[in-house]
Parts: sequence; C-alpha cells; structure tokens
Amino acid sequence: MMLVGLLLLLALMLPGLPLGEWRAFLLDSAQFAFLISALALAWDLLARTGQLSLAHGAFFGLGAYAAALAAPAVGTLPALLLGGVVTALFSLLLGLATLRLHGMYFAIATLAFSEVMRTLVLKSAFTGGAIGLPVQPAFGGAFPLGSYYLAVAVLALASGISLFLGRSRLHYAMTATRQGEAVARVLGVPVVRVKLLAFAISAFLAGLAGGVYAMKTLFLSPYDAFGLGRAVEALVIPIFGGLYTTTGPLLGGLIIVSLETWLRLRIGEGYLVVYGVILVLTILFLPRGLVSLFRRKGVGHA
Amino acid sequence: MLRVEGLSKRFGGVVAASGVDLQVQPGEILAVIGPNGAGKSTLLNLLSGLLRPDQGRIEFLGEEITQAPPEVRTWKGLGRAFQIVQPFPEMTVWENLLVGALYGKPNTSLKVAEGVVKEIIERTGLAPKAQTLAGELTLLEDKRLELARALCTRPRLLLLDEVMAGLRPSEALEAVELVRRIRESGVTVLFIEHLMPVVRALADRVVVMDYGQVIAQGRYDEVAANPRVREAYLGRAS
Amino acid sequence: MQTLINGILAAGIYALVASGLALAVGVVGIVNFAHGEFTMIGAFIAYLLFVGAGLDPFLSLGLAALVLFLVGAISYLGLIRPILAAPELNQMLLTFGLSVALQNIALLLFGADTRVVSTSYQGATLSLGGLSFGVPPLLTFGLSVGILAALYGFLDRTRLGLAVRAVAQNRLAPGLLGIETQQVYLLAFGLSAALAGVAGVMLSVMLYASPTVGFAYTLKAFAIIVMAGLGNLRGVVPAAIILALAEALVSTYVPGGGGWVEAVFFLVIFVALTWRSWRAA
Repeated sequence: MMLVGLLLLLALMLPGLPLGEWRAFLLDSAQFAFLISALALAWDLLARTGQLSLAHGAFFGLGAYAAALAAPAVGTLPALLLGGVVTALFSLLLGLATLRLHGMYFAIATLAFSEVMRTLVLKSAFTGGAIGLPVQPAFGGAFPLGSYYLAVAVLALASGISLFLGRSRLHYAMTATRQGEAVARVLGVPVVRVKLLAFAISAFLAGLAGGVYAMKTLFLSPYDAFGLGRAVEALVIPIFGGLYTTTGPLLGGLIIVSLETWLRLRIGEGYLVVYGVILVLTILFLPRGLVSLFRRKGVGHA
Repeated sequence: MLRVEGLSKRFGGVVAASGVDLQVQPGEILAVIGPNGAGKSTLLNLLSGLLRPDQGRIEFLGEEITQAPPEVRTWKGLGRAFQIVQPFPEMTVWENLLVGALYGKPNTSLKVAEGVVKEIIERTGLAPKAQTLAGELTLLEDKRLELARALCTRPRLLLLDEVMAGLRPSEALEAVELVRRIRESGVTVLFIEHLMPVVRALADRVVVMDYGQVIAQGRYDEVAANPRVREAYLGRAS
Repeated sequence: MQTLINGILAAGIYALVASGLALAVGVVGIVNFAHGEFTMIGAFIAYLLFVGAGLDPFLSLGLAALVLFLVGAISYLGLIRPILAAPELNQMLLTFGLSVALQNIALLLFGADTRVVSTSYQGATLSLGGLSFGVPPLLTFGLSVGILAALYGFLDRTRLGLAVRAVAQNRLAPGLLGIETQQVYLLAFGLSAALAGVAGVMLSVMLYASPTVGFAYTLKAFAIIVMAGLGNLRGVVPAAIILALAEALVSTYVPGGGGWVEAVFFLVIFVALTWRSWRAA
C-alpha cells in the first residue's frame, strides 16, 4: 500500500519537476500510462470474481464517446461521471446476459459484445462514424494541466477502490465466487449480486478513464477508442503485475506502458508485440506476476 | 422442520425423483439410503436449491422454498456439505470458514463471523491447520473443512452428502462422533449414506429410496427387515 | 441463389480453419487463440512465394502445409507442452499472447497493408445454368473438400488416426501422459496448424494476406466448433456451411452489408452463447 501511495505522490509531483525539453512528451506519456493503468486496475476488479473480460476496450471506448458527447452540454466533470455511469449501465446488460458463462465462453461473449459496440459506434451518425469525433479539451482548455491531473485523479480513484475492495468483506465474497461459484452460493454468498457489482464498478472506472482519454487526445475514432489494443493492455498488465492486487496492475501498468511508449517511438505499428511477448513469457515463467516475487500465503492483501 | 411433498424431477427420459414425500423432525438425524441411482443425490440437490423440481413442494421452517436459490436457503438455515469436497484452494482454512461465517446469514459483521470461525475451527479439530492453504489438505482434513464450512453458516438443518466416502474405518468413527456432536449442538441432520454400519449407528430414522421413489421409512431395524428394501438392494429373486 | 452458391463456396475455408481448431481443442485440449495466426502465416507464405518466385498459390499449398506443420510442432514443443498442466486460464492467456505477438510481428515485417495475390485467372468464372461460379472459389471449395475428405479418411481408417480419436475421446490428466499420447498431441497440433495454413493460402487468393486477417478467422472457427459441439469433428462441416451462408445472405441483402457482416456475426455468437447458457438451467 505504501508503494501505491508513493507512486501516486510521484505522479502528482511530476509536472513540478525540472524535465527540460522532454517535458511535454513525458507528461503526455505519463497521462497515457496513468489512464491505461487505471483501466488495468478496473479489469483486475472484475477478474477477482472470475470474470475475465475482453470487453474492457469497449468500456473504455463507451466512456470516451459518452463523455465527449456530453461535455459541451454539461461541462467536464459531469460529463466524465456520466460517461462512467453510461458505461456501467451497459456493463450490467452484459453482466446479466453472461451470468452463466465461464472461461472461454465468457471471454468470447465479451469480445463479441465489444465488436458489436464498435460497429454500432462506427455506423452511427451522431458519434461521427468512421470520420471520428472531435473532443473539447478538459475544462474548455482553461487549465493547461487539466487533463493531466484528471488522469492522476482517475488513477488514484481506481487504486483507492481496488485497495478498499481488497480489504473489505466483499473481498471474501469475490474470491469465493472466483474459486468456486456453486459452493459459494451454497455457503450463502450472493453470487449474482457480487458479479454484477463487480461489473458495474469495473466498467465505471474504465469509462472514467476513457472519458479523460477523450479529453486528452481531443479526437476519437472507433478504431482507436474501441481497438482490441485496449482490451489486450487491460488484461496483460494485471497478469504481468500480479492478479487480484492493487500494486500489481499499478506497477505493471507503469512499467509496461513505458515500454510500449518507448517501442512505439522506435518501431511504429507493431508495438503491441511487446504485450504478446510479455504475456507469453509471464505465463511460462512467472505465472503469478511480478508481485509473486514478494508474496506470502493466502489471498492476503496488497 | 422440513416438509417435502410430491417432489418430482426428470432429466430427459430419466426420472430422478418421483412423488417424494418426507419430513424431517427438529433435532433428529435422518438417513436417506438406497441403491445407486436411486435419486438420493438429486434429492439433496433439490433440497439445497442447485436444482429446481418439476413438481412438488418444499417447506422449511414453515416457509415455502421450492423455487428459492441456494443462497436464500442457506440464509434461512438450510446448510449443505458436499460429497466431493471443493475447498477454495487458494484460501487458507481460516479464510474458507470465514466465507461461510460471513455470508451464511445476512448482515453478519466481520467480528461476529470471526468469532464463529474461532469456535467451529476448534470444534472440528482444524485449528492447527488454520493458516494452511485449503488446496494442500489431506482427504480427512478436506472433509472436516467441508463440514466446518457448512457449520459456519449456522444451519438449523444440515444436509450431508456421503461424508464417509473414502475414509478409513478409524476416520469414519471420528466422523460419526463429529456428526453426533453436531446434533448435540442443536443442528438437525439429514444425511445420505451407503455404509450400513454408519447408518445404523447414527440414524434415528431412515428413508429408503429406489428409482426416485420413497419405498420405506422408519427406524433402521424396521426398514432393514422390509422385504421391498431387500429387493431394491439385492434384486428381485427370480 | 447466386448468393447461396457464393456462400457454400466460401464455406470451404471456414471448414478447414475450424477443423484445425477442432483438432487443437478436441485432441490436445488447448483453447488456441493463435489459430487464426497460423492461417495468416499461410496466407503470407503464399503471397511471398507468388511475388518472389511466381509460384501459383494453389501449387504452394503443399509447402505451406509443411511449413505450418513445423510451426505448429515447434509451438507445441516450446510453448504448449510446458503449460499442459496449467489452469485453463493460463493456457488461454498464453495462446492469446502468442496471437498478439504473431500479429504484431507480421505488422512489423510487412506493414498493415493488405497484400493481394492476383492470379491470371482471378476473375475467371464458369457459367452453369445461369449461375456463375468464380474459378478461384471453385478451386478453393474443391480442394477443401478433398483435404477434409483425406482428413476424415485418415482419422477413420488409419491406426494413427484411430489413436488421435481415442485421445480426443478420453483425455487423461497431463501427469499421466505416456510417450504415445504426447506424440499424438504433437501430431494433432501440427495438423491443426497445417490445416489453418492451407486455408490461409486459399485466403490469400480469395481475399488478401494481412497481419490481422487471421484474427477474425479464429473467432469464426470458435463459433463453428461451439455450434458443432466441442469434440464433434464431423459437425464442423455443416456448421461452417451455415456460417458461410449466413454471411453471404447478410452481405447481399442487408443494406450497407459489408460493415454489418462482422457485427451480425458477433451478435449471433453472443446470442447463441448466452441463450444456450440460460437454457441449460
């Protein structure tokens, strides 16, 4: 937990540090890293109930579009919240439909959902379709570091919720649901509620991150916002960092996204390869993630 | 305490339960026996809510629970221990029990739950293994865990599914003692069993099933002497 | 009617890819998310041989099959075998990672552009009774039928094929794997890749070769084997035909067809999966 606090503190302080000519680039990349790490934290929350989603790209995108569309009417913060809420509502639909699906079938169903969403956005006029949607900057551009601090805030919120849930009673319910759903029910765990709650919280956070992303990049396209790349990042990071923890996705996110950004500079289009390779290597050699290097027994907390 | 009327369930062409009537009195230990495929496990699944019946009625403590989901039945006091033990493998024994204690009844605080776990872990002899991962237990310890976990949900009626399976005779004796102590603590027990010595030692009453129907009820001696029961187990004399 | 013909002809590729996946899932027990990438590799092999050596793609089938068999075998030995005993989740993640890695390596090597293999007979058609059959689709279909027939022949009539089916019926715990079973796994996975690769060659002609072309086929193959029922190798062909027909119908009769085909397909998968899960209550 200390590590989490430390990282967040660093994030807050970053703009104040003397960064020289790299400043704009570093702050920009840092924002991206924060948002993707937040997405990863959100994914991890849902994974705690045994639901391994490939829909988080769609949640990110939904939040992005919803916030972008709402901002001119209601202002930055309400739009972001709205984006999160809309995403959470959609996720509940998905969650309800997939209650009885597990493993591979669940993953494929969420992927199918994601693709359908993408096509809908692509084909709808009001979202700008294939041409894309220009987005107002955060707070109408009044604060130059507006979206930066929003990104930090979202990351802090995601980390906070992740930590909180990890230490709450709900943690036992989520873990029991994950490790033995039928048995959990017989022990009285309200499995349906737990799974849906996880969906809603996870999607809300993902949507928030998406919204801030929209206000940072100032332009949305369905290929970018709903790209499978987001879904891949969302799942590889927690696995690499350490599932069902807070430090795992956070640390893993910062490391991997930095790697990704560096690679993107070097090799252009194929930079996602790093995710693929890292995933394969992690499963082969460090299946419990980075955090396992420091772990103790039981489900514990971190 | 528990009243079952006309319970029926079929799977495709197979009739797993047909017009099952039975009652469980508070404080008793009731055994359900019968040859393989008689429908005993189906009955237990219907009672605990993992299956819904096609017809019939289940009433527990005066309330109808026929269509209630498993969680709700547990909250009302109907607990179950599985035959094939499924501990939460990546949680410690303590944590496994805690799940049962926290969620077995609505609105249980962490403090209260931990108190329950403490008491039951002592009673079932699992205290030394409290911090062991459940995935690393021996078979006997697994079974104790299963029982303890179900007890943590504070059931009024506990459904036991062939708990003796796979135990050595000495271990089985221990298990019998444990079930007796459970009854003494105020929990009514309904158990499925194949080993007749266990049934005779534990059961106040016995219900015999065959082909999904109840074919006899009563005390062990009465039931053992019943020709229909003998037929069911040994086959019709040609 | 023409639509139906087009649909059926397209089913050949689907059937090949799906049969390959059925082998991986049914015999080795691996949910191979990278299966479509084997197809992609096949497509690129055909493209490269065509552009580099002027080799007609239908002639490079054999070579592609061989190369992909090797790729599959190496993947099995290096990546799959170590995780046979790992939880299903880990297996899925590994193959998913492999898929991402392969797609992006291709992206790095070839860029995102689609590479079309344009043979001289690309646009040629045969006319029969008022219906026109494109020559490439016809060849593709014919070859698919032939290859699948050979596959079934192998599985039904040879000793080795019998061993493969036996393993599929009765998969033992990984710790109990004898040498023979491991060889069967190796064979099955290699075959799985080879089938996908052959489909890829045909795909380069029918469509194009591109780094991301395989991904959609992975999903479609999964949809097909789920429809056919896991472990049901024979059901794959009818399921492939149904899928191909559905796609043809949608792209012809739904306005703005192209973009919607994918979405409709995914919607169908989604509905099928969720509906089935609730019915089994």
